[in-house]
Amino acid sequence: MIRIHRQATLALTAGIAILAAGMASAQEWPTEPIHVYVGFPAGSSPDTLARLITDPLSQRLGQPVVVENKPGAGGVIGVQQMLAGKENYSFGSTINGPLTTSPRLVPDTSYDVAADIAPVALLATSPLVLAVSADFPADDLAGFIAAAKAEPEAVSYGSVGQGSGAHLTAELFADAAGVQMLHIPFASYAEVTTSIIGGEINSGFMAPSAAMPQAEAGKMKMLGVTSTEPFAQVPDVPVMAGNAGLPADFRAELWNAFIAPAGTDPAVIERLNAEIDEILKDPKVQQQLMTMGWQAAGGTPDDLAQRITDDTQVWGTVIDKIEAK
Amino acid sequence: MGTWDGILTGFAVALHPSVLIYCVLGVVLGTVIGVLPGIGAMAAISLLLPITFYISPEAALVMLGGVYYGAQYGGAVASILLRLPGTPQSAVTTLDGYPMAQQGRAGVALFASMMSSFVGSVIGIVALVWLSGWLASIATEFGAADYAAMMVLGLVAASTIGSQRPAKAFAMVVLGLILGCVGTDVNSGASRLTFGRTELLDGINLVALAMGLFGVAEVIGNIRDAERKGVPEHVNLRQLIPTREDLRRMTLPTLRGSALGCFFGALPGTGSTISSFLSYATERRIARQPEHFGNGAIEGVAGPEAANNAAAITAFVPTLTLGIPGDPIMALMLGALVIHGIQPGPMMLDAHPDMFWGLVVSFGIGNLLLLILNLPLIGIWVSLLRIPFRWLYPAIIVFVCLGVYSVRGSTFDIAAVAVIGAAGYLLALARFNPALLLLGFVLGPLIETNLRRAMLISRGDPMVFLERPISAFFVAVTVLLILGSLLGVWRRAKKAATPTG
Repeated sequence: MIRIHRQATLALTAGIAILAAGMASAQEWPTEPIHVYVGFPAGSSPDTLARLITDPLSQRLGQPVVVENKPGAGGVIGVQQMLAGKENYSFGSTINGPLTTSPRLVPDTSYDVAADIAPVALLATSPLVLAVSADFPADDLAGFIAAAKAEPEAVSYGSVGQGSGAHLTAELFADAAGVQMLHIPFASYAEVTTSIIGGEINSGFMAPSAAMPQAEAGKMKMLGVTSTEPFAQVPDVPVMAGNAGLPADFRAELWNAFIAPAGTDPAVIERLNAEIDEILKDPKVQQQLMTMGWQAAGGTPDDLAQRITDDTQVWGTVIDKIEAK
Repeated sequence: MGTWDGILTGFAVALHPSVLIYCVLGVVLGTVIGVLPGIGAMAAISLLLPITFYISPEAALVMLGGVYYGAQYGGAVASILLRLPGTPQSAVTTLDGYPMAQQGRAGVALFASMMSSFVGSVIGIVALVWLSGWLASIATEFGAADYAAMMVLGLVAASTIGSQRPAKAFAMVVLGLILGCVGTDVNSGASRLTFGRTELLDGINLVALAMGLFGVAEVIGNIRDAERKGVPEHVNLRQLIPTREDLRRMTLPTLRGSALGCFFGALPGTGSTISSFLSYATERRIARQPEHFGNGAIEGVAGPEAANNAAAITAFVPTLTLGIPGDPIMALMLGALVIHGIQPGPMMLDAHPDMFWGLVVSFGIGNLLLLILNLPLIGIWVSLLRIPFRWLYPAIIVFVCLGVYSVRGSTFDIAAVAVIGAAGYLLALARFNPALLLLGFVLGPLIETNLRRAMLISRGDPMVFLERPISAFFVAVTVLLILGSLLGVWRRAKKAATPTG
C-alpha cells in the first residue's frame, strides 16, 4: 500500500514536473535567436518587407530575429531551407508564389503546402495595375478590352516569365474579359517597363510603385487596379472589379506571409501571430510598407490558411487553362 | 537647372563632409571587394543596404555607387597577378594581364589597368553629363530584335579571342551556350538541364563559373609546377612605370574601350561583362599583329578595363533618367532610395536635382580617390606574389568559397565551384580557352531570349531583323565579318595550294 502510494506520488510529481516544464518552455520561448528565411536576396522587396517586421519583432521577443536570405526558384528554396531549420526557431517570410502556384509550376518543390506549412500571419498585400504606353489608343479599361477584342492577340503584354504573378494575372484578366492577348515574357519588370515605353509591346500588369512614376512623367497610362478597393498609392486608378464587364469579385493580389514549419508549437504560432498583428497595426510600419507599395494586412493564422486555399484554387484554374492551350 | 549650375550644386553636395566621407568609404570598400575573388559589388551593396536607412539618400547613393565602380578597379588586380578574376567583368583581363605578369611586367599591367580604368570612368562621367538624354533614348529604342542582332555580332566578333585553333574556340563557345541554357526557360517555364535540382532552376551561378574556370583551375594547375615565373626579386618604381611605347599602345585601345563601355553600360540588361569582352575582341580584330594577344599585349588590358569602368558609370543613365534599373545591383540602389521615400522614375531628376548632380560629381571625386589610392598600392600588390604558394593558395580557395557563398547563401554553389574548377583544370590541360566558354555563357541566354521575344513580337516574321534599322545594321556587319573570315581562309588555302600546284 505504502509502496503503491509512493509510486503514485512519484508519478504525479513527475507528471507535474513535465507539465510545468512544458508551460515554462512556452512561456520562456524564445530562449535563443530566431531565424526567418527569405527566398529572395538581401535588398529585394520581399527582403526589405521581412526586415520591417523582424526588427520590431526582435524587440518584442527579446531575442535577435535573424533574416536568412536563401534566394532561388522564385522563393521555393527559402521555404525548403525553413523546413530544414530548428523546430520553434525557424520561420519564413515568403511571397504568395511558393505557397500557391509553385507546387504546380516547379518540377519538385519537395514540400506539400497543406501538410508541411503552418500559416502564421498575412503580412501585406499589393495589387497590380494594368499599364499601357502613353500613346496607346485607349484611355480606359473598356477601351483596352475593345482594342483587345478586335482580333486574337491584337494586344501584347509583358510579364516577368511563364507562371509569374504578372503572367497569371494577365491571363486571369483575359479570361474574365473574354479576350486573347499575346504574352511576351521578360526577365525583369525593368525590361517590361522599357519595352512598353519604347512602344515594342502594348501593356503589362505591374506593381503600382513601378508604373506610377512613369505615369506621372506622361510615359504610361494606368487603366485599372486589380484589388477590390482603390489602392492608396494610386488612389485615382479605377478598380477593375465590376468595371467594363469584369465580374464584381475580380481580384488578383500579390502578398507576403509569415509562415512556420507544420511541427511548430501552436503556442509559439499564437504568440507570433499576436505580436505580428500588433506590429502591422503600428501606423509607422503601415506607412513604411505603403512607401514600398504594400498594404499592411494582418489577421489570424486561419485567415492566411483560407487565403492560401482560395488563391491556390484561383491560380490553379488559370494554370490549367494556360496548360490546355 | 543648367549643366554648369548643376555641376556647381553637385560640388556643394559631394564635397560636404557628411557625403564625402561615405564616398571615401564606398570606393575603399569597392576596391577591397573587387580585389577579393568572388565577393562582388552585389553582395557588398546588399549588406550595406540596411545601413543606408540611417544616412541621407545622397550619402547612401554616393556610397553604394562608390562600391559599384570601385569594384571595377580592384577586379583587375587578382586577374593580372594570379589569373584569378576578382569579378566576372575582369575575366578578360586575365587573357593578357596574366602573361604580362609572368613576363615580369605585373607592375606595368596594373598601372595600365588603373590608368585606363580612370580614363574610362572620366569619359563615362562626361557621357553621363552631356549624353545621358541621347543614351537614354537609345536604351528605350533598342528592341528585342536589335539586342538579338547585336549580341550575335558580339558572339561572332569575340569568338576569335585567345590564340587557339578555330575548332577548339568553337567548342568552348558552344559549351558556354549549353551551360547558359541551364535553368527555367523564361518562355515556357520548362526546366532545362537541371537534373531535378531546385538549385539549378535559376541557372548556373556566373560567379561560381568564373571563379571555378579561372581561379580554382589555376590553383590546381600551379600545384604541379611550384616554380613561379616572373616574380621580381625587388619591386622598384622603375618596374611599375610603363615605357613610352607602352603608353602609346595603350592610348587608342583605352579610348575605344571607353566608347564601347559608355554605349553598352547604358543599355539595360547588357552589362559591363559584355563591354569588356567586346573591347578585347575589337582590339584583337584591328591590331596589326593580333598574334601578340594572349601573350601579354598591353592593349588587351587597357581596352577591357576602360570599357568596364565606363560601363559602370553609364549604367546609371537608365537608372537615373528613366528610373529603370539596368541590372540587379542598380535595382538595389533604387531600393535604397525608395526606403527614403524617393520614388525612382523619369521625374526623379527634376524632383531631386541635388541628388543627381551630387552623385555625378561624387563619381569624379571617387575615381580620383581610386587612382590616388591604387597607384601606390601597385607595389604592394606585386609583392603579394612573393607569398609562398602554400600560404597564398589555401587563402585564395577560402576567399573563392566565401565569395561564391555570398552571392545567394548557397552551399550548392560551393560544390559547383569545385566541380567547375576540376573541369576547368582539364580544359586548361587540353589548352582550351575558358574565356570563350564564359562569353558563350553570358551572351547565349541574352541572344536566345531576345531572339524568341523578337519573333513573338513580330508574330513569327523573321524579316523583323532586317526591317528594323538598328538590327539590320548589326546583321550586315555580322555577315561582312563572316564573309571576311571566309575570304581570309580561302586566300590562305589558295596561297598554300599555289607552290605545289
